Amino acid sequence: MDINGKLYRKFLERNAAYEQQNGKDAAKKQHSKGKLTARERIELLFDAGTFDEIDAFTRTAPAESNFGKVVTAYGDGVIIGHGKIKGRTAFIYSQDFNVMGGSLGSVHASKIAKIQDMALKMGAPIIGIIDSGGARIQEGVASLAGYAGIFRRNVFSSGVIPQISVIMGPAAGGAVYSPSITDFVFMTNKTSHMFVTGPNVVKEVLNEDVSFDELGGAEVHMKKSGVANFVYEDEENTLRGVIKLLSYLPSNNMENPPAIEACDTNIEPAPQMLEIVPDDPNKPYDIKEVIRLLVDKDTFFEYAENYAQNIVVGFGRLKGRTIGIIANQPKVLAGTLDINSSTKAARFIRFCDSFNIPILTLEDVPGFLPGIDQEHNGIIRHGAKLLYAYADATVPKVTVILRKSYGGAYCVMNSKNLGGDFNFAWPTAEIAVMGPEGAVSILYRKELIESEDPAKLKKELAKRYREEIANPYVADEKGFIDEVIDPAVTRRKIIYAFEALENKHVTSPSRKHGNIPL
Amino acid sequence: MKNIQHKETEFIALTPKNTRYKIKNLFTDSLKINHKKLDIQIFDDENGFTYLLYKNKKYHAEIIEKNQNKYIVLINGVSYTFTIETPFSYQRKKYLDKQKPKNKVEVVQAPMPGKIIDVLVEPGAEVKTGEAVIILEAMKMQNEIVSPVDGKIVKVYVRQNDIVNKDDLFLEIAR
Repeated sequence: MDINGKLYRKFLERNAAYEQQNGKDAAKKQHSKGKLTARERIELLFDAGTFDEIDAFTRTAPAESNFGKVVTAYGDGVIIGHGKIKGRTAFIYSQDFNVMGGSLGSVHASKIAKIQDMALKMGAPIIGIIDSGGARIQEGVASLAGYAGIFRRNVFSSGVIPQISVIMGPAAGGAVYSPSITDFVFMTNKTSHMFVTGPNVVKEVLNEDVSFDELGGAEVHMKKSGVANFVYEDEENTLRGVIKLLSYLPSNNMENPPAIEACDTNIEPAPQMLEIVPDDPNKPYDIKEVIRLLVDKDTFFEYAENYAQNIVVGFGRLKGRTIGIIANQPKVLAGTLDINSSTKAARFIRFCDSFNIPILTLEDVPGFLPGIDQEHNGIIRHGAKLLYAYADATVPKVTVILRKSYGGAYCVMNSKNLGGDFNFAWPTAEIAVMGPEGAVSILYRKELIESEDPAKLKKELAKRYREEIANPYVADEKGFIDEVIDPAVTRRKIIYAFEALENKHVTSPSRKHGNIPL
Repeated sequence: MKNIQHKETEFIALTPKNTRYKIKNLFTDSLKINHKKLDIQIFDDENGFTYLLYKNKKYHAEIIEKNQNKYIVLINGVSYTFTIETPFSYQRKKYLDKQKPKNKVEVVQAPMPGKIIDVLVEPGAEVKTGEAVIILEAMKMQNEIVSPVDGKIVKVYVRQNDIVNKDDLFLEIAR
């Protein structure tokens, strides 16, 4: 058959028109703003030549009145399709700011919904690249209905397939809620913004002057609000980050996370471990050094590294297998648990549990952060989220107590009775209801008042308390700790513990769902 | 689109002072830096140390830090900081640098109530991101408060042994 013949004319014309639409002019517009085009982003994300687009030639729905300008470009401002990322199938929608500002009309929305349905049915991750002016005003309620349909699918897919949102331009109003439901939010610094109401409305309603960046820039969401989990300086690195994240995750909740074959199998003792944690319990150290020594070389991938830094959370590998890591950070806020660190860790645990990723907890926590600010903002109910997430998780759970483990924080951080499968402690561990100074002030209040040298007596009593109560051996003898281990062999211990737990199976009572304290 | 994939083999190493080194064929044996072909080999010895071999001389090398595309490497005891940019990310950087508001003042506040054990900087001192500026004792821990930016200390509001509340002003840094 003649490919240039009559029968093929329309086919060729359409293709040529679409090429033109995505051509140099489109690229120029985005590049001048420091952004890539919707299609360039897709090409960078997927393995070369594996992306296939669907519904490329859909047309914008006709507006009911002639309000505003209607454009007759193909695609209605979003590219959808599927392809391979490092050999594994993934689905994508990528909003095209060049077509009607990437605004969400009814056809645009139904395209996103179509690809969401496909991803869920096929059990493969879905990635949304957001660069959109928001709901399309001309289409009115139809575009709002479109958003609602997307949100519903986001919720249905939650815990079934990994959902990743990549913000590479504006995301305003309703557009922010789809990313906030998804598992991970990536943002590109300086050129992406997220807010429920923009600076103009803030100015009108509250008379406050605020810039796009100050209100909802990547920096704000990475450090203050915690909305963005990964922030990169440019779009190419952002997309590389997405590829890296996906390498740790299974495609759906029925699979186990992918294991790497060529991996770090070294399980030799690491004597350096003994030098990281200082002898003086009042001296801080960087828990990330411990994490890096425990996991396979260069495999630690931190989540939300600039938010609630008193808890360090992320993925790593043990002999090639993915684990999730939750670790108190003594370097920041003394490693206390506060509202932000509790919610950050809780959400991460929920993700790991949904997708069969075992959880390693490294504990050095003096307790919950005291204070009016924390109590009045609800540390009770936010701390409960972390507790709930740990207790509810049925994946293998291993805890190592490095140093402090006091009070309520001991219970919360995956203690034995909360459901920890293996609980180890280093000989430096202090496990008790409260620290030595606090405890002796309560237990020997009268003696301390009557004493001639209260400071000396207090010191002596604190020493005795440490020897008799605040150590790992009491807990070990009572079975709350499975083993007190040499810090140098921690890596070997946790690798064998997770291997022993490989076929862990838990049946929960039948119910619609639990009621997590949201 | 194919252009982007193709261009990816060309990179730019950019120093903090905006000196550019164009690097071609990064992952091959025929490495080109600023259009000059160089013969550099990298190898590890049995103790796990890494060396660069260039013109028959051995240089001890170590990657101190790698964060996204920012690297700090140590070669023969001298540390070098640079970022690796693609042609597009370099264009983007130039475009964004033009828009950057200058002379912005950053404030450092108390993250929690406590007692100042030590103030490590004076007005006029240059600080780097992550450098400790104040030691705050709180929750029975000597917490290092670090500078959030590269810059110059403008004003210090606290002294040794001061008791501070959450969000009390510590210092101002101009970047």
